Amino acid sequence: MKRILILIFIMIISIKNFAEIKVVCTTTVIADIVKNVGGDKVSVDYLCRGDQDPHFVEVLPSYMLKLRSADIVFKIGLDLEKWLPQLIDGSRNDKLILIDLSENISKKEVPTSKVDASQGDVHPYGNPHYWLDPENVKIMAQEIYNALADFSSQDAAYFKKNLDNFDKQIDSNMKSWTDKLSGLAQKNIITFHKSWIYFTDRFGLNVVGNVEPKPGIPPTPSHDADLIQQIKKDKLKIILMENYYSDNAPNHIAESTGIKVVKVPNSVYGIESVTTYIKLIDYIVNQVYSNDK
Amino acid sequence: MTKKLIFYLLLINSLVMAQSNINPDISLIGIFDTYTNFIKDTPEYGKLNFDIPSFELFIDGYLNPYARATANIAFEEGEFSAEEIYAQILRGLPLDIQIKAGKYLLGFGKLNTVHPHAWPFIDRPLWQQMYFSDEGFNDIGLDVNFILPTEDFYSSLDLGVYTGNSMALNTAGEETDPDEVRGNSLIFVGRLGSFFSLNDFNNLDVGLSGSYGNYAQSSFYIRDSIGFPNQMLKYFYGGLDFKFKYKPDSYTSLVIQGEAILNHRDVIRGTDTDPVIETISTYGAFIYFDYQFFKQFSVGAKYDFTYGVIGDDYSATTLSNDDLNTTSGIEGWIGFYPVEETLAFRLSTQYLFFNLDDDMTKDGETTITLQMVFSLGPHKAHQF
Repeated sequence: MKRILILIFIMIISIKNFAEIKVVCTTTVIADIVKNVGGDKVSVDYLCRGDQDPHFVEVLPSYMLKLRSADIVFKIGLDLEKWLPQLIDGSRNDKLILIDLSENISKKEVPTSKVDASQGDVHPYGNPHYWLDPENVKIMAQEIYNALADFSSQDAAYFKKNLDNFDKQIDSNMKSWTDKLSGLAQKNIITFHKSWIYFTDRFGLNVVGNVEPKPGIPPTPSHDADLIQQIKKDKLKIILMENYYSDNAPNHIAESTGIKVVKVPNSVYGIESVTTYIKLIDYIVNQVYSNDK
Repeated sequence: MTKKLIFYLLLINSLVMAQSNINPDISLIGIFDTYTNFIKDTPEYGKLNFDIPSFELFIDGYLNPYARATANIAFEEGEFSAEEIYAQILRGLPLDIQIKAGKYLLGFGKLNTVHPHAWPFIDRPLWQQMYFSDEGFNDIGLDVNFILPTEDFYSSLDLGVYTGNSMALNTAGEETDPDEVRGNSLIFVGRLGSFFSLNDFNNLDVGLSGSYGNYAQSSFYIRDSIGFPNQMLKYFYGGLDFKFKYKPDSYTSLVIQGEAILNHRDVIRGTDTDPVIETISTYGAFIYFDYQFFKQFSVGAKYDFTYGVIGDDYSATTLSNDDLNTTSGIEGWIGFYPVEETLAFRLSTQYLFFNLDDDMTKDGETTITLQMVFSLGPHKAHQF
């Protein structure tokens, strides 16, 4: 009898040790970082596809099911995922831990005066596209480590080792990315949406105009005309844009000026070959670099 | 004295800070219609007419970690009314149920719970006007919602009990006292819904609904003097609904949605001096598509059918009690959404045609409407 009890006890302990932490991430970039830090002790799912605009995700009941069985949900924060509270409410999961990864990020473009809709889709807590700076991704990874280690303290050492490996991967790529972009002939670029400030600041580029007249506001002919003049005057070479936006207006500008429209994913799985965060930044850097010629 | 003053100032300051942190979301949806019609003998015939602008003021927020509350104050046709006011317990209850209590749009079918400003078209489906009301199926009561243990798809069951005032409205219009129309008895409404994510771009929602209760007492239709014993007139509504959406990217989508209702009810027939109670079964249905072909434009069409004649007066044999005459409608529209969901313009035309019993005829009715909808504040998107 005693042996049976010991066996049952060992089995219970083993089951607990093998139990995966169920994580749902709002974006595929977060999901990739969680995979790196959590390894095989974590099962990861995500809500917004990599080729989808994270500002506008439909409130689908299937997402509620994902959250229903999750232990932790990680979000970008800064008001990017306005759709998330409805999904969490719909999941009825009162044990769900919500982690906002923007907590320790040094935010950019935080409005200093009252924000209203006349300014377009301005995020009142700052620009949320901070994952496009690899240094910020290290901060996100640290936050993810903290949450996973808190949840499963017996695996903290395992998560820490993974975290260190992930940071090393970022650091080892950082030099080649920086070297490549520091050699650009034209460091001033146009972007479609005001979402590249973290990327451009990190790699020494300057955003000198946006195709959208204001964040989230569709391009207008008069604004296009102003941009065309500016591009010609300053001999700009690149319009950088996310691949989920329509390139009608940028292509029209390109026809008049010869500027190159560089459409890239801004998240993992935004295109088929971009399956990790490292590959994502690699892809963006290479596209910018090759189109600068 | 100085210390006390500082203490009170700090206290007031902290209360003000706390208040600002817990303020609910406030949104305002404004609707302005301008229209013309080609309905003979109406003063609007062929003229440009302006409706009084209407609006819905939404106040919405969490009460605590487990519950939230919503109020929707509507201003329509120059009058204010509480269109919805309810609280929901969202989490923490046994079996993961959610409870909603108050006054709100009932979950019979899928479209009824969606506010009209969020529809792609302008005119409420004919069978909803016939069997619910011009304002939809809206009542006071409570609903219990269960998530069913289906692993691979989302499935939920709603069971609700309500005052039945909505059925009095459907039977006799706004002017009559609900107790006089149908006495004091509850009605029941439920829906079983399932959502299937077919792949990344295609989603399908299907549902079965039912509602049961008394819609009137016979004394509302029959004079006491003829000695007919007062009886409750019962109804049963059965509903079937589906919504399919294909959305390959942010700029393109196709929605196909349809709903049908079976109306099974007791009705008064016979003559004024020799009335009898019979049972009738009638039905109604609509189906529409809305195709968003660019981020700012959509186009669509709706086909509608219902028993009863839209625009008839209330009686024991008309509207939802009518099993002889029918109304059909075709509506087509084009939508323009200049900046996301903050502003919308819809140009719609609807043609109604009637099939009347006993060789009666009624001319078809054409209405053309231009609608402007604006959305101020953080009004939440409706669930799929």
